Amino acid sequence: MDLLIQIIFGLLTALIIGAAMMVVTVRNIIHAALWLIASFFGVAALYLLLEAEFIAVVQVLVYIGAISILILFAIMLTRHISGEGERLLTRHWWAAAVVALGLFGAVLLPTLAGNAWGIPLPTGPAGTPEPLSGVEELGRGFVSEFLLHFEVAGVLLTVALIGAIVIAFEERSRRRRVLTLAEEHTLNQRQKASAERAAAAADMAD
Amino acid sequence: MRDVIEQIINTTFGWGWPGWAISLIGYLIVAAILFLIAPFQMLFLTLFERRAIARMQDRVGPNRVGPEGAWQPLADGVKIFTKEDIVPDSADRWVHLIAPCVVVAPTMFMFAVVPWGPGMVPVDMNIGLLFFFAISSVSAVGLMMAGWASNNKFALIGAMRAVAQMVSYEIPAVLSLLSIVLITGSLSLVDLIAYQGGLFISSSDVAGVPDLGLGWFIFTPVGFLAFIAFFIAALAEGERTPFDIPEADSEIVAGYMTEYSGMKFGLFYLAQYVLNFLLCAITSVIFFGGWQGPGVGWLYAQAITPANPGGGWIFNVLAGALGVFYFLAKTYGFFFVMVWIRGAYPRLRIDQLMDFGWKFLIPLTLVNIFGATIWVALTKWGAAEGLAIVEGWSPMLRWAVAFVVTLALNLGAYLFLARIFAESQAERLRVDDEVLERLTNVA
Repeated sequence: MDLLIQIIFGLLTALIIGAAMMVVTVRNIIHAALWLIASFFGVAALYLLLEAEFIAVVQVLVYIGAISILILFAIMLTRHISGEGERLLTRHWWAAAVVALGLFGAVLLPTLAGNAWGIPLPTGPAGTPEPLSGVEELGRGFVSEFLLHFEVAGVLLTVALIGAIVIAFEERSRRRRVLTLAEEHTLNQRQKASAERAAAAADMAD
Repeated sequence: MRDVIEQIINTTFGWGWPGWAISLIGYLIVAAILFLIAPFQMLFLTLFERRAIARMQDRVGPNRVGPEGAWQPLADGVKIFTKEDIVPDSADRWVHLIAPCVVVAPTMFMFAVVPWGPGMVPVDMNIGLLFFFAISSVSAVGLMMAGWASNNKFALIGAMRAVAQMVSYEIPAVLSLLSIVLITGSLSLVDLIAYQGGLFISSSDVAGVPDLGLGWFIFTPVGFLAFIAFFIAALAEGERTPFDIPEADSEIVAGYMTEYSGMKFGLFYLAQYVLNFLLCAITSVIFFGGWQGPGVGWLYAQAITPANPGGGWIFNVLAGALGVFYFLAKTYGFFFVMVWIRGAYPRLRIDQLMDFGWKFLIPLTLVNIFGATIWVALTKWGAAEGLAIVEGWSPMLRWAVAFVVTLALNLGAYLFLARIFAESQAERLRVDDEVLERLTNVA
């Protein structure tokens, strides 16, 4: 069983890292977004392997169902960036590489240095262990221990929502109105009717 | 299932295989059965829909191939397999190829948590409901891929419409389910069904109600409103008329499927019908008790279960058969309603669709969540939660008070929102009219 889990873990990490590499190396930006989705899937599967079902499902729901859709929408609705031929690297790529590696090292080194390797497997009481990341525990955490964080996140999201609505309204007031077919039809009818009325009035005047 | 396989392999043959191999074999068998069921559902449902819609439109429908046209879906399948697979020159080959798979795969995943009968669920996840909706949102990515990779304006517009519609209507669907989850206190589909025993009153709300398997959520005001909102959202999610805007053939050819032919087109078709079947199934599970019905509970109590190892196996078979019968009867009933709506209503415009979803359904489902909390408070809470008044009432009285209060709340909210919505639509028409007048200088 342990061997099986390790094989699955290896495959998943290969998928995640490979997909993440593809995200930053492919030239087509839509392909990059699709590889990002593959990477998200790998992470969700990794959570599932850790028996954190709720987190895994929320990962799929939020990152794949919402965020990547948002990314795809943004790319497709923006002209001129979905094409190929953009330069992948700037002249200062090595500086960026140094900064990224330094930050990654700053995160990784303390973990590597301060971790006690080879921990024996936990030997708890028999039977199914208590779920650690169940919905109920998370919910209770949100309304008791982490209430402030929860509320702040909620306010932030509401602000973003209102901002989106404001931007949409500004856009709408600037946009030139395009008539629908039905509207053009009523327009024609009205013009015809008014022309007839004018003609009738002219006849009367004669 | 696992026990049966262990019995056969380790005891009968004496091979002594490890536990994980037996679990794996069990899951593989169940998965194989489900993968076979899905296409057959699609075959049946296409024929059913074509015949039913033909009857509503005063036609006959396909009736030449086999008795009453029974082999028509097979003939269609053969036709679709032998068609040439055309990929447009300027299409993105790989994404064009993968897109149908990405659309079909989630619908197959969703079968994993659907309970077919008592004790007949592939995986009893404790977050089954959330899993179902999380996975269903993945197919939006596939639609987007299909629309973009085809390199066709109609396909791209269709994909945009499909995704916008799916994302908008996921919100009322999930919010309406949230009220049910509040009442049951569980996200597991098995628990949801177990809650719905009783006779018009759930025996989990009022102890001592005779268990005829009829304590469905549809009989409560909260459940009824949630059902209406959810079913409308399900129509939009399954791209059924009146929400078939993404593939409105009179406007944008076939939407995101425009550039697909042969079996790739068939896969989109398959995904759509399987998704419709699953949406009907989940509606029947959540609001109509799934396999619950008169007799199933009694039969299952006599059967061999972990709680009752001394039962008779014949009762397992009988309870399973009756449960699956009830479940499928409800599911096909809902599919018939979908076909019926297709026969009766014209297509909505995109702005009407968005207005209806965001300005009417979402506020209504939010009110419904409030109703659900009142329901929980009145039927379950006591002095410990700060509701000492209801402590002394009998369960029946508490249920009745909860029923009346939530009914008044939901009805009031519905009437209020319907009036506001009608006014806003009238106002919109008036504004449009004014704009027209200004543009033309004609009254």
